[in-house]
Order: sequence, then structure tokens, then C-alpha cells
Amino acid sequence: MKKNIITYIAAVFLISGCNSDFSDVVDFKQVTNPNLSEGSVVGLPNSSALWKSGIEREISRTLNEILILAELGSDNYVNIQTYFSQFMDNMDIRTTDPDIRDTQNEIARVMRMAEYGIATVGPNDPDYSAVTEAEFNFYLGYARMLAGMYFSKLPQETLGVPVTSDDLYANAITSFNAAISLNPSAEYHLAKARANYYLGNKSEAVAAATAAISADDDFLRSAEYDELEGPSNTMEDALYERGTFDDFQPLPSLDFLDPKYSFVDANVDPSVHYLKAEEAYLILAEAHLSDGNVAAAQQNLTSLLALVATRDVREVDDSGETRGNQSNAVDDSTRPSSSEVTVNGRSGLILDRDNGDVSIPSVSGTSLTASEIAAMGADDAGLALIYRTRQEIFIAEGIRFVDMGIKLVINENEILQNENISDGDAGTVAVVPSFIDAVKNDLDGITFDAANNSAATTVDVTAILIQNKTSSSVVPFE
Amino acid sequence: MKKLLLLIPSLMIMSFSGWAQKTVTGSVLDEGGLPLPGASVIEKGTSNGVSTDFDGNFSIEISEGNILEVSFIGYSSELITVGDQDNYSVTLNPSNELEEIIVTGQGSGIEKRKLSTTVDVLNEKDIDKLPARQIDQLLQSTTPSAQIRLSSGQPGTASIIRTRGALSAATSSTPVVIVDGIRVDNLNSNPSLAQDTGGADISALADIPIESIERIEYIKGGAATTLYGADAANGVIQIITKKGKAGTSKVFFETRLGSIRATEDFLKYSRTAEALFDPGLLNEYRIGMSGGTEVSTYNFSASLYKDDSYNDLNEQIKRSFTFGLTRNISDKLKYQASMSYVNMDSNLDFNANTSFSRFSGFEGGGRGDLDTMDDETWQSELERSRNLANTIDITNRVNRFTASNKFTYEAGKNITANFTTGVDFRSFVQQRNDTNEMQIYQGTIPAGSADRASLDRMIRNNFTLTTDFNLTHRGALDNFEFVTIVGAQFFRKSDRQNLVSGSGGVDGSTSVNTFPTKTSTDFVLENANYGVYLLENVGIYDVAFLEFGGRLDYNTAAGGNSSAIFLPKFGITYNISDHDFYEGSSISNVVSSIKLRANYGEATNFAGAFSQDRTFALESFLGKPAFRFANPGNPDLKSETVQTSEIGLELGFLDNRINFSGTYYKGITKDALFTPSQPPSSGLLSQIQNIGEIENSGVELAINAAVIQNDKHNLNLSLSYNTNENTVTSMGGAAPFNVGGFSVIGSWVEEGQSLGYLRGTAATPNGDGTYTFTPNETLGKTFAPTFGSISLNYSYDKFNFFASGDYQMDGNIVDLSFLLRHLRGVDNTGIPDDLVGTTSPFNYVNYFTFENDFFKIRNIGVTYNFGQTDIFSNISVGFTATNPFNWTTGLWDPETTGSGIGTQNGFSSGGFYYGTESAPRTFITSIRFEF
Repeated sequence: MKKNIITYIAAVFLISGCNSDFSDVVDFKQVTNPNLSEGSVVGLPNSSALWKSGIEREISRTLNEILILAELGSDNYVNIQTYFSQFMDNMDIRTTDPDIRDTQNEIARVMRMAEYGIATVGPNDPDYSAVTEAEFNFYLGYARMLAGMYFSKLPQETLGVPVTSDDLYANAITSFNAAISLNPSAEYHLAKARANYYLGNKSEAVAAATAAISADDDFLRSAEYDELEGPSNTMEDALYERGTFDDFQPLPSLDFLDPKYSFVDANVDPSVHYLKAEEAYLILAEAHLSDGNVAAAQQNLTSLLALVATRDVREVDDSGETRGNQSNAVDDSTRPSSSEVTVNGRSGLILDRDNGDVSIPSVSGTSLTASEIAAMGADDAGLALIYRTRQEIFIAEGIRFVDMGIKLVINENEILQNENISDGDAGTVAVVPSFIDAVKNDLDGITFDAANNSAATTVDVTAILIQNKTSSSVVPFE
Repeated sequence: MKKLLLLIPSLMIMSFSGWAQKTVTGSVLDEGGLPLPGASVIEKGTSNGVSTDFDGNFSIEISEGNILEVSFIGYSSELITVGDQDNYSVTLNPSNELEEIIVTGQGSGIEKRKLSTTVDVLNEKDIDKLPARQIDQLLQSTTPSAQIRLSSGQPGTASIIRTRGALSAATSSTPVVIVDGIRVDNLNSNPSLAQDTGGADISALADIPIESIERIEYIKGGAATTLYGADAANGVIQIITKKGKAGTSKVFFETRLGSIRATEDFLKYSRTAEALFDPGLLNEYRIGMSGGTEVSTYNFSASLYKDDSYNDLNEQIKRSFTFGLTRNISDKLKYQASMSYVNMDSNLDFNANTSFSRFSGFEGGGRGDLDTMDDETWQSELERSRNLANTIDITNRVNRFTASNKFTYEAGKNITANFTTGVDFRSFVQQRNDTNEMQIYQGTIPAGSADRASLDRMIRNNFTLTTDFNLTHRGALDNFEFVTIVGAQFFRKSDRQNLVSGSGGVDGSTSVNTFPTKTSTDFVLENANYGVYLLENVGIYDVAFLEFGGRLDYNTAAGGNSSAIFLPKFGITYNISDHDFYEGSSISNVVSSIKLRANYGEATNFAGAFSQDRTFALESFLGKPAFRFANPGNPDLKSETVQTSEIGLELGFLDNRINFSGTYYKGITKDALFTPSQPPSSGLLSQIQNIGEIENSGVELAINAAVIQNDKHNLNLSLSYNTNENTVTSMGGAAPFNVGGFSVIGSWVEEGQSLGYLRGTAATPNGDGTYTFTPNETLGKTFAPTFGSISLNYSYDKFNFFASGDYQMDGNIVDLSFLLRHLRGVDNTGIPDDLVGTTSPFNYVNYFTFENDFFKIRNIGVTYNFGQTDIFSNISVGFTATNPFNWTTGLWDPETTGSGIGTQNGFSSGGFYYGTESAPRTFITSIRFEF
């Protein structure tokens, strides 16, 4: 009996000991990363669609970085009390600027995501479609185009050899062509038109712009923003939804277009429209004017006005806005804030914000009038009209900065870690056209005579661009 | 490893026993005549020894003429030469510093005189008289070589604690905190998903119970913490709780009542005080009982605390109880346990780094120049501020349980086995309700808005499990003594956070169910760390001691290509004054003790859990799922290792009435964990990597003197002076990166500079009205490289007076409140007229950077013991004032850098003074009745 009991006890212990499941009870070493690994992404049905959404989200983030720099760096906005970029208002472009680093990183991130989509996610997704593949190619091209727009040189691959702005545009066009071959859409054509525009390839730009309008004459491609889950629209924070600081002030001549981005609702922030049919009309008008074809340019601008008239205009309660300056952000007397004020002799550019809601175009707005179009000629005044209109149509969309011919620099992190780049190389030195550099401290300057309801900008950048239209940095069709 | 294991039995064989001649019995008593249970009675030079029972009695076999060494933790050892009598009564007196027994970092208790490392000890008496409400505040100014800075005056505030400089760019410098052998949550910053309060950080240190502490041991990183392995490079604070003593049961009741008032020393505008500050009442009741028998002892204490703070918004309630016991299960097996529960409720105001902050708004010029504001405008500002005080709703609730179990088994005459296991569970709920009403007062939504309220609720549950098993063997061979400790240790930490948010709501509810739009986020950190350790302490003629050992350490935050890390330690101690020839020499009358020591040891910090893995994220973007690249991953990731060497000298003068301690240390952080930006062309997020190297060196000098010492009067003075030189010696090829502040005036990691140094654009006058602007100029070190503390204790009969303070020098701080005032055009103090308005103030940030010197008196207090009465065994009354006096170099508090703590458990340079209220002044009276 005793032997049986011992055998029984021994058997129980033996079975307990061999029961590997029980080891979990005393194994406290196991940890599991709850996050997704590559295996959870690649090969998943419909993963390319989710990857595409991810790239769109990344483009929204990229524009958040770019727009702050580009709008401050141009004459569009001045930074009166902000913790956004501290340098760009003074055109102080440094290799150590973390905002420029983040801009470069975001552009590269869109490239890497697009490449990974084309090479890995798409081919392993049973639901991969030509439409999605076209989008991946478009994203790659768009990121390359952004690199060309904002940098004189930038590596196109991780730690790669820096590629010139022109080559980046050319490579972008290759990607846009790939996208068009898979799914010809107006947006891809316009992207191709813009790349050719900045390259100065007039005929290609005209062809692509024409193709874009032919496909769709009021298209709008937008980077969307998620107020609830992020990313929210950083420019909207700077222009409207600010606290006691973070305040961008527009050039008074652009007052009537501000704030392009304002509060929508708790879920959604306003979109940034980064490819819109208006641009095709403006490219065509500029090309026609440079060819001396005033009538065609007038037709393009008339179509533009018609299109702008169809765009959304928001009623905005902007009574909280104060038009102050750096020494006193809340003092309304330092900048014009009354509709009675003329700017550079022009009226109707300043809005009264304390007398109820103001109407602000959320896609495109312009002070261009039919009579101005009718009166234009194939001269510098006509060209200036187009550039003034470009500034207005594209306010808060980062285009004016590119039109001014300014290029950012490769960041020191890249310089230190990329053996293809040394400090002082092309690409590590800011490109600021001499005629812009000469007025860089006056870009946001204004004089305001409150008593006489008169304001004037210290410099007229549009006029400076036109005066220097033969420069290779600006006005590409001249 | 196998070799290490082979070493253990061979060391154990080295035990020798004396031969029995006769039985000697006796008792061991404390200075008050009470028995000391558990005292060690050992035949000197042998392993023959026993412990006293709960009546303090012992019985041992020993030969006549041999020497008995009687010792007990916290008491001076006594040597008895056994003569012809068979019974001895030995009275032990509380030890001076050189003869204490230290348990922290040793695996088992070892006499302090045998250690080559230093330890700061705070005993029950020191602790009970201080009115501190959190452990870091308790240690502030009472530990000679630690810099402890409370980063805000708000309840439960986080702190910056540093001893031997900033060792890591990746983690906080907060030491590991251990309660009775159990690691507890020591998160000294906001959790990852905490509310954006603008830097009003809440610390887990604030709710570690401090009501029932017998002793605190604070060891600095290096050889002292090698046995703790991972995460212990910043040192270890061990709290040993009261477990009760055998004898008559004791009961006490204590009440503390006081006033809590704002520190207004650093205000720019007196009107800020008028708007926000409101002296509050502080009240606490404590009750405790302790006692025991020869088989078991117990201690229980409970506390209820409330204050309504120094301002018009904060409030703090703390409820806690602690329980400790010991029980002799058998002659050989002893069980010891402690348990505590803390509940803490508090609320917060917005701090600096948000436009919602009232204090920052006033002091940063956001509401204009308060000095010149007309009365009517000021009245409307006051009304707005008061409306906000009534509507700002950020609440914190902590519930925390800590339990420790320790089994000690006398496996043989010379071998003791210790097994410790326990848990710490801390639940933290933080809730922020931005009502429509509050947002309208803030001016962020239009008046009349009724459906823009939001609610955020974060729940963080942190669980820590600790297990430690070790065997201690004590042996002797002729004139050599051996203490061998071999053990294994394991701890696991699980930090789970959930944030639920609702928006678009109406006012009147704090249930997320009533908010039309709901979102949620989670955050998980899980880490297991385990290792085996061995320590050998060899005594040579009982005057010199050699320590060597190490720990083989592994943790789950390491990458796949990383293996376990071996952390060695070596030490040598030479107590010259313990030589017989010295004790008899005339110089010993003046220099009563001399101890030389030197050691080398390694300890680590590990990277955050899961930071080694390559991951992807699936975001919700406009209601659709969206993939993205997340952490790039680093299979080579491992812990950073701090290699510390130190040499030290301890001197006692005039029968140890004056004690001096001096240490020189050098710590090199190898494979330092840096998180630089990736090359931007990679498009990757930053990835933590072992690429850096940081060097810290300095001296630690402390002197303690019993200036007056007689039957009635006792006056003790302590003074410490420490230096720290901190340099990033290698960036591993990465570019400098920002670890705090802003890009324009930030705290940076850069080769050749102090970690987190201040960098920005400086303007220097050319003498002709023009200025030269130098970008990326070095503007100073955020860590004051010179610091120390001072304390005084005077007693006359039953009266006691004490004061303590601390100081720092030679560091720098940016006054961001001033920068904001200047940006807003209301303050140009000290800025040249020909500079103002010519360029952005961000181009002359040197004018906002100042010295962060201070000298602060932390505590002044008196106590009086009435002694025995008919009913009570003692009545004591006390009065303390905290933070009564401050001396700084300007209108900024170098300590309150609340807005500077960035990520969870992240590096904090503390270099920015920015709209943060200072620690308040308290004036507290206490009455304690003992039965």
C-alpha cells in the first residue's frame, strides 16, 4: 500500500513536471510587443489600400512642415509671436534648422513609403489594383517634385548622392508618366505640368496643363486633416486656432484671403488643396502671355475667374483675430484692420473682422477682376498680374516661396552621416536670388498710416520678380 | 558562468568553527536597557556565532580567553573577552557612521566599515521630524551628495534627482526605489498618455508612503549598485519600513496642523499673487501601534492628510496605511512582511507650456504689463482668473499597493538563505474636463458655445514584480574572513496606459458616454530583467577588505543580436585606524579613525521596452485605417553601461566627534543611448542607438561635527560640497540633437559639451551700436556643477532645534517667462536699447540666460518632548517651517523647471524657468501622544 502511495505521489509530481503548459505560470520573462510587425502588413488582403491611406496621411504631415517654412519665408506671412520656425522670416536658412530637417525627412518618408508600396506592399496584396499602383507612382513623383521645389539638391535614396532640383523634377515626371499610364487623371497631368513649368519646359507644361483641364476642369486634390486623431492642420493653428501665441499675420494686400484655413468641426481640420485646376489655367495663361498670345491668356484667366467663383467660401467668425506686431501682438493699431484702409492704393483688401462673420475663400480667392483681364497686355504689367494672382490663389499653399526662387539646404544630420555630402557642397548652401536677398528683411515690412487709412508694403515682391524675370531662378517661361 | 558557480562551494569550504569549551549565556540590550532581538554574537575571527532571541538572550559555546563580537544593525559592535564568568550583559550603543550595517546593494547585510562604497543613511529620527510629503522632498538637503529639485509647487510634482551628474541622454536620472527589497514604481515624470497640462508633471515618487520608515539607504551608482544591474546606474534608494519590536505595545497619535503659503519671491508682478495665491490649511492625523512577542512583532500606522494648497485651485488629499510584521516560524526560518496602501487625490492647474496657464499668462506678459494695467482692466483680469479657477478641472487619483515578503533561513551555522518577493501596483487616473464654460473664459471658443466640451481620462496601471534569492556564507580562516553572497534576481515591470477622450459635449457630465465623439489610445511598456550575482568580501586581519564580484544581466529591452552583459565590481577598503598599533598610538587621540577605499563597478540603464523592434503603425486617419512605418528597430540595442571608479578617504577626529568623508569619482557611460535624428534621406523616425559616450567626474566632500557634546547640550553641524564635471565625449558620428526647450534656445546633446547644455543665438555688442549674432552659441550648463547641503541640529535636554538647506552654483538657466514678456513688449529689463526692435529676440537669447545659483533653507524646526506623564509615555510637540528662505541670483527659481520634463521617464535638463509656481512654504505644528 505504502509503495502504491509513493508510486502515486511520484507519478503526480512527474506528470506535473512534464506538463510544459504549467511552466507559463512561473515564466515571467515573456514579453510581447503589442505593435505591428512587417508580417502583419505585407501580404494582408487590401493592405495596399491601407498603405495608400498611410501615404496620404504622410503627405498631410509633409505639407504641415513645408507650409510653415514656405509661407514665412515668402512675403505672404510674418510671424509675430510664434514658436513655429524662428528663422525663416529673416530668410535665415541654416543646415542646423530642425524644421528644415523635418521637412527633408518628411519628403523622404513619402518617397520611402511610395517605394515600399510599389515594391513590397502592392505586389503582395491580392487586392492590388492599377488605380492604387498609379497612386503609389504619383506619390513617389509628388515627393520628388516637392524635393525639387524646395531644395536645390537632395538625396533621392537613403544616404544617396544628392540630386539636383532639375533632375528631381525630371524623375518626378517619370513617376507621373508611370501613374498616367496606369490611370490617366487630371491631377497626375497637372503634377506633370507643374514639374515641367518649374523646369521651364513650356510646351510640355502647356500640354500637360491642357490634358489636365481636358480630363477635369475643376478638379481638386487635397491633403486632408484629422482634427480628432491627427495630423491636424498646422497652418490652421497658425492662422486661426491659436492660443495666446502662434500668430501669423498676412501681408495687408492678402488680408482678404486670411484665414484660408479655419475651424471646421471637432473631427476634421480644413484641407490643403495641393493640386487644383486653377494652376493649369495660370500655367497656360503665363505660357500664352510669354508667347505674346494675350487673347489666349485672357481666356485662361477668365476661365480661372469662373472657376474661382465656383469654389467654396466659408463664413468665418474671426472676431478673435488681432492685427498686431511683434512688440504687441494684441494691439490692433499696428496693422490695418479696417475695410477703409487702402493697401498700396488699392481698396477692398482689408476686412472688418469685428462686425460679424467674414467671407473667406477656402480653396481659391483673388482680387483679379474681369476688367483687369480685359486691360492686360503682353507686357510686364500683364505678367505681374499673373504673378499677383498666383500669390493670391496659392496663399497658404507654399507656392509663392518656390516662385521666389528660394531653396532650402540639406540638413547637418545628412551632411554628417552621408558620405556623398560635405559641408559647403551645393545643396548645403541656401539659394536665395540676389534680388530677393537684397530685400529679405523687408519682405514683410509695411507702413501703416492709421489716421489716413493708408497702408503700404515696403517692397513689392511681384514687381521684383518681374523685373528679374530673366533670372534662371524665377519666372520659368521668361 | 560555470567558473563562477564553481567558486562558490570552494569559498564555502573555507569555513572554520571554533571548538566548544563552555557555554556562555547573556543578553544584549540597547542604550535604553531594552532587549535587542536578532543581535549577532560571534566568536571573533571564526564563523561560530548565534543570534539573540526576542528577549535579547543568547547562548554560545566558546573557550575562555576568546573574544565575543556582539553586533546589531545601527549599533556599535562590542568585543567581550570571555573570562571565567558564564553570563554577560552587553549594552550596545547606537553606532556612529563608520560601523553601520548596510543591506542595500549587498545582497545581504555587511558592515559599512567593510565597504568601499559610500552610502547616505537617513534614520527614523531624522525622518519623523521632517514635514515632507514625498520621498524626494524628504531627501532634499538631508543627503549630502544628491541634487534634488522639485520641479513645481503643485501637488505630487515630479522632481529632478541627480547624484553623480547626468549619466544618460535617454532616461531620467531618478534612482531605483526599493521598499523592503521590492522595486516600486519610480516614474518621475508624466506618463506617456498624461494630459497636456503644460508640464505640471505628476510623479510616482509622490505617493510612496513615508509614514512608517525605519531607515533610508541611498547608494549612488557605480560599484554600489552593480548587483542591481539594469536600470541602477543612477543609484538606489532603499526604504526599510518599521516592523515593530518585541516588548510592550506602543501606540501613538499625532496631529499636524499648518498653513501653506505661496512662495512669492520669484514673481515679476505682485498682482499675480493677488490673482492666484490664497493661503491654505494643512491638516494631518496619524495613528500607529507597534509591539510584539518573542515570536512575532508588528507595526501599523495610518495617516489622513489634506491641504487646500497655496493657491485658489489646488487641493490634495492623501490616505495611507502601512503594516509590517516579523515572525519566527521556526528557530531557523524567519518571515518578514510589509504592506502599504496609499490613496492620493489632487487636482492641477495648467502649467507654463500651454496658453491655458493663468500663472504663465500673467508672469509671461500674456495678459499685458500688470504693473501698469489700469484698475478696471485688472478687475476684469481678476474676474477672468477666478472664473477659470472655478472651471479648470484636472484631477489625479492614485491607488497604490505595495507588498513585500522576505524569508530568511539559517541553513547552517554559516549559511543564510534569503528569499524576497513582492509586488507594487499603482493605478493612476488623470482626468481633464474642458467645459464649454472654461473654454469660453479662456477665449478659445466663442461665447454661447454649448457643445464644444471635451473630456480626457487616462488610466495608467503599473505593476512591478520583484524576486530575489541569495545565499550568504560567512567563514574565516586564520586572520581572513570571508563573506560570500551568491544570488539571482528578477524583476518585471508592466506599464499599461489607456486614454479615452470624448469631445463635442455639453457641460455637466464627466462620463465619456455623454460625449458624442469618442476616441481612445493605449500605451504599453513591458520589461523583464533577470540576472545572477556573486559578491565576495574578504576581510584581512579585520582591517582591510577586498570586494569583488559582479552580475550577469539580461533584459528583454535588448535587441536580438545582444547577449547578456557582465557587470563586474571590485573594491578595496583599508581601515588603518583599526590596527592595534594605531589604536595605541598618540595620534589616535586626534585622528581617531582613518579609512581608505577605492572601487570600480559597472551599472546600466536600459532603453525603453520594445524600442529594439522594427514596427509598423496602423493609424486612424479620417475614419480610415492607414499604415505607416513606426519604430525603425535596432537589433544591436543593448543597455548603456556606466563604468565608475572612485577613491575615497574617511577620517574621524577627536573620538569621531568630527567626521570627514572625501570621494573622487569618475563615471564613463559607454555605449550611451542616444536618439539622434536619422539621416533625413532615410525618412525614418529617430531610433535609439548605443552610439555615445558621456563622462562625469567630481569630488564629494562631507564633514559632520559634534560641536557640542555633553549631558545636556548637543550641537551637530553637517556640511557637504560636491562638484561634477559632465562632458559628452562622443556623439558616435551623429549630429547634435535637441533634448529640451526649443530649437532657438534649447537643451542640446553635443560632443565636447555638458549633457543638455544650453545653445542658442547670442548677440555681442561691437561697441558701435551694432551687434554680432552668433548662432548655436554655448550659453551654459543646465546642471549646476557645484552643489551641496548644510544642516544643523541642536538639542538641550528635551528640546531640539534643527535646520537644513542646500545650494548650487555655476550652472545656467533660461528665464523663458522673461523672454515671453520681452516678446510681448512688456519687459526690456537689461536688454540694450539699441538692440530692442532691431531683430528677433531669438537672436539674442543670451540676454535671457542667467546663472542658476541658489541657497535655500529647506527646513527649520523645533521639537520638545514632555516625557512620561500619568497617561502617556511621551508627549512631543513640534513646529516646522519648510522653504522659509531663498537666495537666488534673480527673479527666477532655478529649481522650478516643471515644463522641462519631456517624454515619459525621459532626460530632463531642467534648464528652463517657465511660468511655474515654486514649492510653497509650510508652517506646521505637530503634537504627538505616545501611550
